[in-house]
Amino acid sequence: MVPITAFRPVWDPPSDLAFAALGNRDIAPAILRVRSLSLEAQLYENESANPELSLAGRFDLVFITIYIAPLVLIALLHDVWSGEREAGRLFMLSSLPRARRRLWTVRIAVRIAGVLAALLIPFAVGAILAGTALPRVLAFGGLITLACLFWSAVILLVARRGASSVVNAATLASIWFALTLVVPAAANLVINASVPVPDGAELARENREFVHGAWDRPREQTMDAFLALYPQHVAGSALPPTFHYKWYFAFQHLGDLHVADQSRAYRDGIAGRAAYARAAGWLLPPAGIAQAMTALAGTDVTAQLEFQQRIRAYHTRLREYYYDYLFSERPFDVSILANVPRFAPADDDDAGAH
Amino acid sequence: MNRSLIIAAAELRLILRSRLALVGVVTLLLLSAIAAVTSAVQMAETAQARAQAQIETDEQFKAQPNRHPHRMVHYGTYALRPVGPLAAFDPGVDSFTGTVVFLEGHRQNSATFGAARESSDLLRFGQLTPAFVLQTLAPLLLIFLGFATIARERERGSLRALAAHGASARSILGGKAMALGVVALLALAPALVALGWAALRQPHEGGIALLIALAYAGYLAAWVLGIVAVSGIARTSQGALIALIAAWALIVVLVPRAAAGIAGVADPLPSRVDTELAIAADLRRIGDSHNPDDPHFAAFKAETLKKYGVTRTEDLPFNYRGYMAQEGERITSQLFKDYAARADAIRARQSGWLGWAGVLSPALSVRDASMVGAATDLMTHTAFMNAAEAYRFDLVQRLNGLQATAVSGADDAARSKDPLADRRTRISADFWKTMPEFEFNAPSPAARVTVMVPSLLLLGLWIALAFGVLGLAARRMERHGA
Repeated sequence: MVPITAFRPVWDPPSDLAFAALGNRDIAPAILRVRSLSLEAQLYENESANPELSLAGRFDLVFITIYIAPLVLIALLHDVWSGEREAGRLFMLSSLPRARRRLWTVRIAVRIAGVLAALLIPFAVGAILAGTALPRVLAFGGLITLACLFWSAVILLVARRGASSVVNAATLASIWFALTLVVPAAANLVINASVPVPDGAELARENREFVHGAWDRPREQTMDAFLALYPQHVAGSALPPTFHYKWYFAFQHLGDLHVADQSRAYRDGIAGRAAYARAAGWLLPPAGIAQAMTALAGTDVTAQLEFQQRIRAYHTRLREYYYDYLFSERPFDVSILANVPRFAPADDDDAGAH
Repeated sequence: MNRSLIIAAAELRLILRSRLALVGVVTLLLLSAIAAVTSAVQMAETAQARAQAQIETDEQFKAQPNRHPHRMVHYGTYALRPVGPLAAFDPGVDSFTGTVVFLEGHRQNSATFGAARESSDLLRFGQLTPAFVLQTLAPLLLIFLGFATIARERERGSLRALAAHGASARSILGGKAMALGVVALLALAPALVALGWAALRQPHEGGIALLIALAYAGYLAAWVLGIVAVSGIARTSQGALIALIAAWALIVVLVPRAAAGIAGVADPLPSRVDTELAIAADLRRIGDSHNPDDPHFAAFKAETLKKYGVTRTEDLPFNYRGYMAQEGERITSQLFKDYAARADAIRARQSGWLGWAGVLSPALSVRDASMVGAATDLMTHTAFMNAAEAYRFDLVQRLNGLQATAVSGADDAARSKDPLADRRTRISADFWKTMPEFEFNAPSPAARVTVMVPSLLLLGLWIALAFGVLGLAARRMERHGA
């Protein structure tokens, strides 16, 4: 392997909340290796995960909060009034002085608090183990609480209407079912149909055609286009009659630029879908809160796109470092390899150089 | 039996007269119709796009100009996974895998570009497909329609009246189950039409489509029996409803996720980069064709020279560089194959966990039977990846072979110094037209049926279990005088 085309690692370390909200980390690679050749041919590599495990969905705190906790709350609260009425005690209990405060409020508060404790205590233990920053612990804990309070409010509204326990349970299960299973799936269909994402396979092929076509194009054509972008390297741009990395690196980069519009459209398409999904989250609180949780944990689709932008920024630093070496016609020495830029997950935030 | 029919008819009339039940049935029918149509349209578009992309890829390869064969090794080609024959009914893991693999020399790439990474986070809430409707939504509707079927009569005291008219517990349970079964059949209808439509267009898939339909019928039958049994056992309809919803949440929502989580932890899969690094380390140990001092290739060279009775590679009857490239590719490909086999085994074990979890959740069993039948499961994806790798190896070796036979060794040696020699190493574009095209066929229906068997057996077990619970309900009802 020629050293200046060696692979360099780039990685997306899990945030201090990733343990609670796994997001897309099961299907997107956390580590990639890139080299200073055309990035569009490297950026979309996938993790080798088992798709049958991903299909079921992740078993994490988001799942427990969004799917399981509401069902437990429904079981605990749907008959808080109707149950007493059906047992013939409602009238008597209501006639007690200050019944509302002493009885119902306490009873309801204790049940909700129990569910909250069952969610928040394990989360707190996890947060301590993961060393999560306190403001982030509070924000995530707040989202868990918000989800529980949303469902409690829905349940109590339904339970107050005076229908029988059975009707309450059936109504609430249907609401849960619609908000958590059916409408998000339908919203996904609508969003994907209305926001197109360019064909990735075509993007990859276009990139390859351009890069490999360079071998059959006059080298001056490649160098002129490249030097228009990097005029500072004109002075050292003379090529020997045989192969030279200046030219090789030049057409690799031009290959990326050749599909830059498609690549941006591809990224914008995914980001657009994510934006619509976030908007849908305002109408679908469970989906909205779940997305807020993965966004906070930095494990959502948007975080994956941002990781790709960090890779782009690093890739730019990497190849420009090599350009400086190649076009300066400096003789090769070990310091050139020793000083190669390294990826820094937090620092490469200057989002996408092209 | 006769009495059961009367009870069933009465129950059906009741369901049809209940506005709430009607709304439920209509909603489900509507949802499955939407799912069937959108899924059919979407998968047809995807299938068309992938087939078109494969054709364009092949044409591009064949249209390449005169080149050095090694340039073609790096130019490479793409393999696109065709959409499974019944994917419109159950797309299975299609969204969760990449669909395009770039095939080139020296490297084994991952499958890239899949729907899961091109969609918003909502995708992970589930995809509205006929299979999803049947696996997840249909049982819940049956619960809503059936939880009170006997418990209601018990609460009103009409159960005693029925018994007094000589209706046995068995005939009551049987009648109620029949009525609910009719509703279940109705709920199945749009999805079955979607399945039938897909099968009609590919007649050789008809048999397996029928088997998939039977698996779903069995799954929903187990639900129907279980629901009626719980309704017969529960003291109140509220108790029946809560118990059934809890069972549904466990079976359909919790167990599949928990099982997947456990499987991932119990049999962790090395990341792609880990594997790449391990392969690179092995390669340094075995032999690196790019390293002129490599001991393996020194021995390989000596052996080749001896075999042809010459002392210099220049005197060999072929271009040694191409010959050496073939040896290099053989070594790397063997490593790719070994590591892929290891990863495949881990994934298969992980999915094996899911298979066993079918003991706890028939939803997992029916999902598996459905995906396997539709050829949209892990096994089919693995077969695709292995077919793509086999094709890659064959193509690269053919091109290396061209380097050995159609490119002169002297020109090949001089090409980086001498532009004229470089021009002579560019062999005719006609060679590219002789290369075979990539083709992948999903495992045959017969092979898929064999893989479906364990899941089908588990479903059978669940039906037996449901009958057992129904018998228990009958005994209890008899004992308590209904």
